[in-house]
Amino acid sequence: MTWCRRGLGILVSVVLLLGLPSLAWGAENPLGSGAEVIAEGHALFNKLCTVCHGVDGAPGDRGPAMAAQRRYLRQTDTELFQAIQEGIPDSEMPPMGLPEDDAWRIVAWIRSLRAKAIDVPADGDIQQGSNIFWGKGECGRCHVISGRGGLLGPDLTNLGAQMSLNRIQEAMTVEKPHPPLGYRPVTVTTKGGRTISGVSKNEHNFSLQMIGDDDRLYLFSSEEIDKIVYGEKSLMPTDYDRRLSESEFRDLLAFLSRLSLRRRESSSVEPNQTP
Amino acid sequence: MIAEMSNRAASIGRVLRCAVVAGLLAGGLSAGEVTYEQLLDPPPENWLTYGRTYDSQRHSPLDQITKENVSQLAPAWIFPMPGARRLESVPIVVDGVMYVSQPNEIYALDARAGRQIWKWRREPARQRGNNRGVAVLGNLVYVSTPDAHLVALDARTGSMVWESEIASSEDGYWSPAAPFAIDGRIIAGNAAGDYGLNGWLDAFDATTGERLWRFYTIPRPGEPGNETWAGDSWKTGGGATWLSGSFDPELNLLYWGIGNPAPDFDGEPRRGDNLYTESVVALDADSGKLRWYFQFTPHDLHDWDSVEIPILVDAPYKGRLRKLLVHADRNGFYYVLDRETGEFLEGVPFIDKLNWASGLTETGRPIRVPGVEPTLQGNFVCPSTSGATNWMSPAYNPATNWFYLAVKEGCGVSYKSKQEFRPGGFSYAATGYIESPRFPWQMFVRALDLTTGERKWEYRQVNSRHYGAGLVSTATGLIFAGDDQGFFTALDAVTGDPLWHFNTGTRISASPISYAVKGRQYLAVCSGVNVVTFALPAGPEAD
Ligand code: HEC
Ligand code: HEC
Repeated sequence: MTWCRRGLGILVSVVLLLGLPSLAWGAENPLGSGAEVIAEGHALFNKLCTVCHGVDGAPGDRGPAMAAQRRYLRQTDTELFQAIQEGIPDSEMPPMGLPEDDAWRIVAWIRSLRAKAIDVPADGDIQQGSNIFWGKGECGRCHVISGRGGLLGPDLTNLGAQMSLNRIQEAMTVEKPHPPLGYRPVTVTTKGGRTISGVSKNEHNFSLQMIGDDDRLYLFSSEEIDKIVYGEKSLMPTDYDRRLSESEFRDLLAFLSRLSLRRRESSSVEPNQTP
Repeated sequence: MIAEMSNRAASIGRVLRCAVVAGLLAGGLSAGEVTYEQLLDPPPENWLTYGRTYDSQRHSPLDQITKENVSQLAPAWIFPMPGARRLESVPIVVDGVMYVSQPNEIYALDARAGRQIWKWRREPARQRGNNRGVAVLGNLVYVSTPDAHLVALDARTGSMVWESEIASSEDGYWSPAAPFAIDGRIIAGNAAGDYGLNGWLDAFDATTGERLWRFYTIPRPGEPGNETWAGDSWKTGGGATWLSGSFDPELNLLYWGIGNPAPDFDGEPRRGDNLYTESVVALDADSGKLRWYFQFTPHDLHDWDSVEIPILVDAPYKGRLRKLLVHADRNGFYYVLDRETGEFLEGVPFIDKLNWASGLTETGRPIRVPGVEPTLQGNFVCPSTSGATNWMSPAYNPATNWFYLAVKEGCGVSYKSKQEFRPGGFSYAATGYIESPRFPWQMFVRALDLTTGERKWEYRQVNSRHYGAGLVSTATGLIFAGDDQGFFTALDAVTGDPLWHFNTGTRISASPISYAVKGRQYLAVCSGVNVVTFALPAGPEAD
């Protein structure tokens, strides 16, 4: 886990960003959103702002996280720039009055933290990452990419365009307090004595719809059920930072961050390629 | 275990036994794959294609709901489709899972409980037209979209598996019809005929989404039929494919109704018969090549799309067993054709008010009454452009040997003017029509003798002011109908007497279906923004 957090700055490689029409962010930034600009912004932030905010944009003692799962008040480059330079009235965020270019550098870095993975795809061996997905990581047992794979977890075909790199990492390393809706582990024993385990897609007092671990859909009416036992923990394993080596984890991230319908053509490996 | 159930169960008794077996195995239900063999001979409990069977008869073999007990029919569950406007979708039911659609969205529901299993939503590039349903084959669910794409989803999760373009939405196309699944292929059409955009029918590989063939509804230069368009008028001829069709697996022929020519109301720029608009075409399912066609309204001037679903029946005609295709056209005539050759056998009006033709010739060509064309000042025509019937599906009951349909009596006033074609999806109708205040709209359900078209009975939908629903027929001699006032009604298939009704409260514009889960028979229909289902109250669960 620790290397994972610390390593984020290194893992995030920011190649090929300029000139991609799909990138709205960085458009207002006079310095653009190149890798160097972002790296400089990152260093500046850690140096200047961590009295209050946390290192690397984590939550700090006196200031909020720069990228977290919450709604941001300030969405655009300009809004962030203004917050930094002019401060936020009636709050502890002071006007920083930095040299303009430095402020823009920090803005570029904050935006990269909030970007979807496909906007800032991780560095690494993509083919190797695909091998780990379908092989050692056993991800394909529970996840579908482009029609192939298991059904217990969400479809990951468009993962890179849906989640930030940060959140993808967290999904593999940080246990959720509760299994999310639609993925609650469940074991049903029928009145006929048969036992089916899987995840509950929907349920209430009178019926239950589930995907079994045989990847089939089961539809129960409550009269048919003898017993329901729920799993406390999500089926998603969260020990991949230990289960995989550092380089394997990095390669997997490189693969996952490029899973996107929007850029399918330009990705260098077929997402559903067999190892 | 559903494979065991898939062997054709000839009667509901058999279905019930199968359901018991399934029940013992799982206690619940487990949804399975749909094979081509099942599409050819659907198990009674499933509704697998738009018209239930390839012949589009919409006749359910289920027999739990009868004339005797139908009075006890009660709502089983209601599913409101979030954000819906007016649903026209025909639900598909596979082994207890219902797939129902609206533009850019599909819901998979537990067909017993009405509970959502998954939802697929496509970020709407466009919101054009309606959506009339999905197709199923193997593990996939297929839908066409308002931006004229065909999308394949995993039936178990709603994950997208592939997507192919049917036509360019930039050009102005969309695709409202339910796709049609045959052996390894998905047939999909498109709409935009009123924009002067030419239509076609495509076949896609069911697993890869690769396009296999295309049939152009307006023949291009060098192809037979192109000479039926004056000058370059074929280029903006219309001929949309906005509804599903039917299929004869033995003849390997697809039967599809083709929409109107453009400009709709001004025939001057497009002198000629304007093939294959206002026709039914028979296409080789392997190649998409035209085998035969029959044109109902040559050189149409009233926007009478001939897309109405053709029903295929093997029945005696004049002493000989014939492979028939019957079709009630928006122009007001009921047609009986030989579906091997396209030969015209019979044609009679199924409405009382029809003023544009005095009859049909021996070959089925309308004998036009002069002076009924649209004019600058407006001209009186019966039926009006909305037609004597429309997208709402008819049904056929083999026991009565009658054809049942939703009929509109009423007349209109049609206008025309000059209009230039504009590329990019703009109306090219050259004006339009109003419903005539002199003969206001009136809907009926009518029963016609299959081969003579003779009217057997009619049920008047009192106070109807708009189109109603399509029909479903059941093995117990019931016809289920809906109307714009929101009433869902069971009629006696022999007498036309209403035996039961329920007020759903919102306009019904879709066609109903019947299915069964674990031995309990249901009816389902999209009404307004809801999917509404009905069953007998103490419906015996399989035990
Ligand atoms: C004295 C403490 C302090 C210092 C130093 C500080 N901040 Fe803040 N910052 C805050 C607090 C507190 C907030 C939350 C203000 C609020 O919204 O109530 C904040 C909010 C922000 C926000 C807005 C976050 C959002 O999503 O709306 C940005 C951007 C920001 N700080 C950037 C910086 C940068 C860059 C630096 C260094 C150059 C910096 N801050 C230094 C305390 C500080
Ligand atoms: C035993 C089944 C299983 C395995 C193996 C598995 N996952 Fe998951 N995964 C799940 C389930 C169930 C969820 C949804 C519940 C959750 O988020 O905890 C999930 C969620 C996720 C998410 C979050 C998706 C979202 O939209 O929130 C990601 C990303 C993910 N998995 C990636 C992976 C990767 C990469 C691997 C392999 C290294 C993997 N999973 C292996 C079952 C599994």
